[in-house]
Amino acid sequence: MTTNDPYFIDFPARIRAVQAEMARDGIDVYLGSRLRTLSWTSDAFCPWRSYIVIPADGLPTLYTFVIDAARVQDDSWLDEDHVLGFAPMGGQDQIDLIATKIAESLPGGRGRVGVEAGMSNYLPEGNLTHYEYQAFSAALPDAELVNALDIIDRVSVIKDAGTINRFREASRMVDVGHQAVWEALCSGNKTVSETEIAGLAAYAMRKAGSEWEWSFTGGNEIASGYRTGLAGGACTPASRRRTAPGEPLMVDLHAMFKLCLGDHSHNYLLAPATPRQRWHAQNFVDLVTLCLQTYRAGVSPSSLADEMMLFCEERGFAEYMVPGFEHGIGMLGDEWRIGRNDGPFPYWTNPDHIYQPNEMLICAIQYACPEENIGFRYENPILILPDGCEAMSKFSLAIEEV
Amino acid sequence: MDTLQYLSPAWAAEAQKRLREQLTPETMKFVTSSMLTVYHNCPDGKERALYYKIQDGVFQDVSVREGEMPEAEFIISGDYDTFAKISRAELGSRSALMGGKLRLKGNMVKALSLASIVDRLNKVLSTIECEY
Repeated sequence: MTTNDPYFIDFPARIRAVQAEMARDGIDVYLGSRLRTLSWTSDAFCPWRSYIVIPADGLPTLYTFVIDAARVQDDSWLDEDHVLGFAPMGGQDQIDLIATKIAESLPGGRGRVGVEAGMSNYLPEGNLTHYEYQAFSAALPDAELVNALDIIDRVSVIKDAGTINRFREASRMVDVGHQAVWEALCSGNKTVSETEIAGLAAYAMRKAGSEWEWSFTGGNEIASGYRTGLAGGACTPASRRRTAPGEPLMVDLHAMFKLCLGDHSHNYLLAPATPRQRWHAQNFVDLVTLCLQTYRAGVSPSSLADEMMLFCEERGFAEYMVPGFEHGIGMLGDEWRIGRNDGPFPYWTNPDHIYQPNEMLICAIQYACPEENIGFRYENPILILPDGCEAMSKFSLAIEEV
Repeated sequence: MDTLQYLSPAWAAEAQKRLREQLTPETMKFVTSSMLTVYHNCPDGKERALYYKIQDGVFQDVSVREGEMPEAEFIISGDYDTFAKISRAELGSRSALMGGKLRLKGNMVKALSLASIVDRLNKVLSTIECEY
């Protein structure tokens, strides 16, 4: 990929940025294990347990399960000497192999090794496990292992042009999926199953070039009828439930393009709709409109939530709202916490995080009225701009009656 | 032919001769690589190594080394007894690696592609009658 390619990312520059932060924090070697770190540093999809060892200078070395190492190397910008496989063999297990590499990278085998520890709501986060921490500590008796995950978090907050363009392309693919669902619903066959909707959207997005319906929440999340109104309601893997006339339908699609993620939710009322359903729908569309108008550099999750909840209160639907309007987004593996680990609750989003230009997040809004079996979801990757935001998915904002 | 002493210079010369005769460059997939098998706890208490240098599928060097060891793409190390069992076909090299009796240093991905070649190599070596 040349520097003129719209999707070009300067990965060597990313590594140098990490190394500069390591020097600032007194870290001699960084041992990354989180999925987000692997994606951000290697440009490769690492579905198996993987690690990246970043020395104080020079190229990093990625380690993954040997059966997938050649494919990871083929996808990555790193050469074959810097993508290695591990296996349960003498000298080749992950602890032995990586500890040897780290020891070689430490001056005299002594120094500080930055690791990624903590906790996450996202199951595939990839923090170092207790066992791994103990095993690496034992294998590196002259090294001190310290939690340094903030290094990656702070250098990856602001998105470069290549990343932003990849997100735009992933969102274009999601829009193709939504168009396919819309056409299917308008064809008159309203009694399809949620899994069928998920599948036909996936097929359309794959045809458009999407690599994966990436979300660990079940790929494309489809909910119909009462499932749209489940309290909290922000995770709806498609079920075998069949849609029915007079019900709401929530279609939350995910596409992936070069490890950047499309994530857009569109909602329907399957005719005939009642006036009360239309009232809920109008509340939701007005709230999303206001929210997209409000996002800009300088606001924070809490200030935005205060403003949105005030609107909900004035309109009389605050009780149906999840009082949060965002989740994080970055290259694959970075999909829930906003910004850095610097809030009052460790490893959760800092509610007072101030958004900066070229940050990205998912504008995420969940509306659920369980007693009326109705709910809606909005998700769309947005790029924070000095005076507003760019919504990446362009599918029309509406709750259509079909 | 007299029985050779395992890991003696004469054994190494016979090994190179047989490997060159029986493993053609085609059989060796025209591979270019180098391998050092390091034997700990030899019967005389010393540490020795067997060095293989393969160029375009041809065994250029099969020699026993002591003291300072040459650089090699792959280094396999273990006890003399373990290697002797492999040479006598009493133990598979793969199970010795998987069981942790041998340690491999080198790129595992490349090693995977060379595994069948190493199997052929070990099979040839096991045909040399020798004393341990």
